[in-house]
Amino acid sequence: MVTLDETFEQFEEEETDVHLGSTLSGRKRLFSKELRCMMYGFGDDQNPYTESVDLLEDLVIEFITEMTHKAMEVGRTGRVQVEDIVFLVRKDSRKYARVKDLLTMNEELKKARKAFDEVKYADGS
Amino acid sequence: MDSIFSRAESAHDKDDGVKCGLESLEVKDDQSLRNEAVGSQDSFSSVKLENDPESSFARSDSDQDQYNDDQDNDNDHDHDQDQDNDETGDTHLNRAASALEDILSNTSSFSKPAASTKSDMKDNSESNDAFHESIMLPKSCSSDKRDKKKEMKSRRELEEEEREKMQVLVSNFTEEQLDRYEMYRRSAFPKAAIKRLMQTITGCSVSQNVVIAMSGIAKVFVGEIVEEALDVMETQGESGPLQPKHLREAIRRLRLKGQIPNGRPRKPMFHF
Repeated sequence: MVTLDETFEQFEEEETDVHLGSTLSGRKRLFSKELRCMMYGFGDDQNPYTESVDLLEDLVIEFITEMTHKAMEVGRTGRVQVEDIVFLVRKDSRKYARVKDLLTMNEELKKARKAFDEVKYADGS
Repeated sequence: MDSIFSRAESAHDKDDGVKCGLESLEVKDDQSLRNEAVGSQDSFSSVKLENDPESSFARSDSDQDQYNDDQDNDNDHDHDQDQDNDETGDTHLNRAASALEDILSNTSSFSKPAASTKSDMKDNSESNDAFHESIMLPKSCSSDKRDKKKEMKSRRELEEEEREKMQVLVSNFTEEQLDRYEMYRRSAFPKAAIKRLMQTITGCSVSQNVVIAMSGIAKVFVGEIVEEALDVMETQGESGPLQPKHLREAIRRLRLKGQIPNGRPRKPMFHF
């Protein structure tokens, strides 16, 4: 079962390397630049191999696709909401902590911006 | 949504919120407080900032680069409409006005007991703190420290310590390490592309928070794979840029641990 997935994935990879068009990963590269910076940040060489970047991009897209599909089944069917994503990563402590941090910070920033804008408004009027 | 994260922590913070909010309420009468009670009950963020407004704001300064680089300003409106449909404009102005008063008058303690509107004081306290911390140097409410439970104190101290340690560490980085650290912090997936991808998959629109969460998780995902691949490369005694074979081995290992979603595991079609 696991090997089936792997060989399928490898097959997809080889096809991309050769044909550059017919598979789903044959679409234009979405994250090439950002992924390069990210790989460097996480410990890779300053110039990562293009094949590595491509492989990672396909992986990320597959990951996002899987998560989205699962999120659509959880909670409100057919829609993706934040709670669904949080539910899906609850077992993975790293990802859960990261989502929690991001959302909390986002709220704080929004509140700060709002308060700041309103003081400016009160000042100006 | 506020139930998911903040309720667990709100129990600790109620007292602090009350005491802190008491300072800023001297200009309010009961009527405006009641308005706030009505308006802000369903607000997403009404109980969000109770825990650690100071420390998390100091932290958010450093993380703000990542946010400001990527965030579109007009997306705020969509999200605000989602969540603020119960709040009136008056509540915001009241809060902002009270925050401004607080700064100008710089009152320290105020002991007026307020019976029924404790939840609103939480709102005031957090908005005041938010206002304080984002505009001026972080200044903790004196009443905050007075009543702090031991648990909160140790958590805040821990965060302080951690931040100090990080500062010492980063200040001792070499040029190359600084460069890599900056890349680590600043790199992120473009929100537009993620949003487009998710909307293509779902067929319906996704909210801003979802995109933020998904980009963050995807970055952690990439990090896990790259770290595992570096381990693999080290085990094999090689060096240089990562090669796809290292990545594939890393993926295989992580899949066994269950960290990579592999879709619905297909039942073996044939029994041998």
